[in-house]
This record gives sequence, C-alpha cells and structure tokens, in this order.
Amino acid sequence: MRERWRTILDHPLFQLELRRVRRRRWWPGRRFFLFYPALLGCALGYGVMVTFAGSLENRLGILVTGVPGVCLLSVINWLLVLGLTWIAPALTAASIARERELGTLDLLQTTLLSERSLVLGKLAGCLAQLWPGLLTMALLTPFQLLLASSSGAIFSLGSWPGVWFEGGDAAWMGVGTWLGLLLMSGLGLLRPWSDIALHAAVGLFVSALARSASVAVVVSYGVILGIRAALYLVNALLSAVLAVIPGLLMSGALAGGMSEGLVGGLLMAPIIITSLGIICIQVVGAVLLVYAAIWWLRQA
Amino acid sequence: MTKRYGKLTALRNLDLTVEEGAVFGFVGPNGAGKTTTMRILATLLRPTAGEAWVVGHSVLNQRREVRRAIGYMPDFFGVYGDMKVWEYLDFFAACYEIPPETRQLLTDDLLELVDLAHRREDYVDALSRGMKQRLCLARTLAHDPRVLILDEPASGLDPRARIEIRELLRELQGMGKTILVSSHILSEIQEICTHVGIIEAGQLVATGTLAEMRKRIQAQRIVRIGLTGRIEEAQDWLSSRPDVMEVQPVTRNGEGDLQFLFSGDDDGLARFLSELVAAGFPVVMFREESGDLEDLFMRLTKGVVS
Repeated sequence: MRERWRTILDHPLFQLELRRVRRRRWWPGRRFFLFYPALLGCALGYGVMVTFAGSLENRLGILVTGVPGVCLLSVINWLLVLGLTWIAPALTAASIARERELGTLDLLQTTLLSERSLVLGKLAGCLAQLWPGLLTMALLTPFQLLLASSSGAIFSLGSWPGVWFEGGDAAWMGVGTWLGLLLMSGLGLLRPWSDIALHAAVGLFVSALARSASVAVVVSYGVILGIRAALYLVNALLSAVLAVIPGLLMSGALAGGMSEGLVGGLLMAPIIITSLGIICIQVVGAVLLVYAAIWWLRQA
Repeated sequence: MTKRYGKLTALRNLDLTVEEGAVFGFVGPNGAGKTTTMRILATLLRPTAGEAWVVGHSVLNQRREVRRAIGYMPDFFGVYGDMKVWEYLDFFAACYEIPPETRQLLTDDLLELVDLAHRREDYVDALSRGMKQRLCLARTLAHDPRVLILDEPASGLDPRARIEIRELLRELQGMGKTILVSSHILSEIQEICTHVGIIEAGQLVATGTLAEMRKRIQAQRIVRIGLTGRIEEAQDWLSSRPDVMEVQPVTRNGEGDLQFLFSGDDDGLARFLSELVAAGFPVVMFREESGDLEDLFMRLTKGVVS
C-alpha cells in the first residue's frame, strides 16, 4: 500500500468505526473474553479424558456426561454462525451507501484515500463492529475440532493412541475413518468463514452501487438468497456426480489389495471434495466482488 | 470540457482558466453546470470529452496529485453527526495522511481559524448549520491545499453566518490560496471575487475580472425617466432612437416611469437629456440606475437550463 498507515489497524476508517463502537454502552469490553481460559481448561480436560479413557464403555460414559456442555457450545456456535452470516452483509451493504446517502462519500473520495483503501477501510470498519462475534467464533473452533476428534475416535472404534496398541486391519480402518471425519469437520468449520466472507463481499459490492443504505441492504439480501440457492444446486450436483466414484474406487482398491482402513476414508472423499469446492468458490467470489466494488468506485 | 449524462448535455465545450491567487466566482442559475464543473475538477466525475488541469496536474491521469492540491467542499455535504468536532477534523487529517503527532496541533489551528475552538469537544450534530459549514471549510484546509473548490459555501445560511463565511474566504485569499467559488447569490460573489465567470446551460457566457465586468455593465447603462404625461408618445420617441433599447414602462406610485438601456458615454447621456427636454416632454425625473452584476447576469442569461 502506498498509504501512510502501515496496517489496516491504522486506517482512518477503521479507527473511526472503532471509536464509534467503543462509545456504545452495551458493548462488551475485553473482560468479556475472560471466560475463555476457563472454558479452554475444561474442554481440554474433557478431551483428554475421552481420548485416553481405556474401554469403549468408559469413553461413551464420559462423552454422554459432557453432552450438555458440548450441546451448549454447539448451540452458541450455531447461533453465532447464523447471526454473523446475515448481520455481516447488512453492515457492509450499509457502509459505502450510507456515506453516499449522508454526502460524505464525496468528501472521502477527494481525500488521499484511494478507492481501494476506501473499500478495504470500510470493510475493516465492519469487522470492527463484528469483532466480538468473530473472535468468539474463532475461539470456539478448537472445541469443535476436539469434539470432532473425540467423536471420530468413538465412532471409528478406536482412538488415535489406541490404534497403535491394538494394530491390525480393524485399526487401520479406524484411522482412515477418523482422519476422514476430522478433515470433514475441519472443512465444516471453515465453511461458515467462507459464508461470512462471501456475504460481506456481496453487501460491499451492492453498497458501492446503491444510492441509499436501505436499498443496498434489501438488494444484498436478495442477491445472497439467489447465490445460496445456486450454490445449493452446485453442491447437490457435485455430490451426485462424486457419489459414484467411491463405489468404483472401493471395488478397484479392494481388488488391488488396498488396506480397508484407507478405503473407509475414501468413502468420505466426495463430501470432502464438495465442501472444499464450495469453500473455494465462495472465497474466490468474495475476493472478486471486493475488487469489483473498487473498480466501480474508480469509474466515478 | 464536455460532460453528458445520457442524452443530457451538462457541459458544452466549457473552456475556463482560473489564474493563480484569484478568487473566481462561478455564477449561473441552478442546473447550469456549476456543480458538474466543480466535481470534474475535484476528480469526482470524468468529463465525457476534454481534459482539465489543476495546478498542472491532469484530473484524468493524476488524480492523486490533484486531490493533494485541492480542498473541495460540495454544495450538499454530510458530516458525521456522532463525532466530536475535533475528531471530525482529526479523521480527515488522517485521510490526508497527516501523521498523528502533528494532527492535534493542526486541528487546534484549524478550529481557531474558523472560530470553533470553543466547540472542540461538542458533537458535530450539536452545531448550527453555519458552524457545520465552517467546520466543513476547516476540513477542506486540513492538508493546506493550494486551490479551494467551494460549491455554494453560503447556501442556506443566515446573513450573519454568510458574512462570517465571506470573511473567512477573504482571509484565505490573503493566505494566497486560489479559490473557485460558486454561488447563485450575486451580491456575495461581487464582494469577494476578483474574477467572475457566468455559466448557463453548460456554456460560459461571460468571463473576466470584476473590473472588466463592470465596464461591460456600463457600456449599456440603465436609465429611468419620470414624466407627468405623454407617456406613450415618449415611448415611441425613445424606441425610434438608435442608442436606446428595451424601453419598458415602470409604474411608481401610480405615476408612469420609463426605463431603458442607453448605449453611450456621459456626454452622450447629457445630449440625450437635452434632446428629450427639447422635444417637449414633461420630464420630472431622470436618473441612471446603478448597474450591478445581477443586471448583467439577468441580461446575459435567458433562464435556460440544460
């Protein structure tokens, strides 16, 4: 960047939004996140217990005991994802259009802020408003992974360390399934981020075109619903096509003497590939939309 | 420059030069193309055809340099109402890449200049319109630009606030800034400008220094005479003369007056009066109406809006 501010944190638009956010009375301060170390401690203990608890019965017992906590975390995470994916576009859609409505966009555009800096600064300003949500979501990620890992360990009939002691084909089957499950949940955790990125980018792009903030928000929601429907179709098609492959692979692999364990993992390949594809499409789409917004503002 | 919005032509081959250090008053009816011209100069619009330069920088290819050189104040400007006065200036100073260390001093100086230092900690929303306008003017000065482009800086202000803005502009002129200011209130422009340009329907109708404009006005003087009778006869007599134009009756307290344009110098006017009396018309009043920018404006423009 040619601008003087070295990081996005020094950007005047980000600073402006941060100042506004701090002025809100109900805004959670840093204290809000003091809960985190406690939560982390509990969860780690729980995860270790599930993983190393000897017999399957014991493991299941521990898992069931922890269910309320796990459920609560999942619900919080689910609400956060739902909220953020739909609040983010409303914020970004209002950002540039609101400046135009107020008549301050002209003022900003005649300063030394380049169009790119303006758009990215506005985006950063929206992030400034969402940071508690985003940070909570990020902080919950390890719990989700831990949960996936332990339940994966349960369902795949053997935990990660257990595999080495028990050995044999059954254990390999376990490892394959476990890895597959872990990868699947990892991608499942990445997916909301790409959702938020895409939705925010759609809002930003519409905002660059719209005359007023309210119009921008309504149009953005419409566009996002359209995109969601299209992506749903893509997802369904990809899954349908890819569902044929494991069958072929499996027959070939087994005939070729491949370990059954790896075949277990292969079973999940279509789902993994589909989620990866959707995430890539969303992220690339988001980046393109942000650049489209910049390009549009440059046209004057 | 030419600027079209679809079928509408806002500027038609506008050719305009503003000298350094001048206060150029840009006059024209609403919709004449003043704002369009200023927005092009402020790099907010691109001309459909043609090119413009600010301090030697092209508004098409050297936008950043142009932006560094200008301070632009739009006719409809927004302020962030939820910011404090000093924060507002600080924010824009940051947008102009002024380092944080010098910003505080700069903000104080600017507030002092526009006489808002006592409202430093107030929210922008709490300011009156005149104060907001002054704050916006302070904002345009944040990076010490050489050229100020002010679109209707005094619109919607009460007389006092208007005078304050005028004083400010004078002060800025004294600081050596080139100012391009638009207005439809002519008396204002007349008082602060060194140069005037009149624009109508996207074309420059007249341009020059204020003195030149005055001369132009005096080339055709407005004369008003009062008669006790024979008004229609006098009207015909006047209309038949080559040095008289646009004779029209004006009513004053029930008595009939006649007003017309007379082309000629003082001697010519004296001769004209003696001829008028010699012709036997009962003249009770003979005076030259002082012509000002407003008359010139009314005469040069036809009220056409593109």
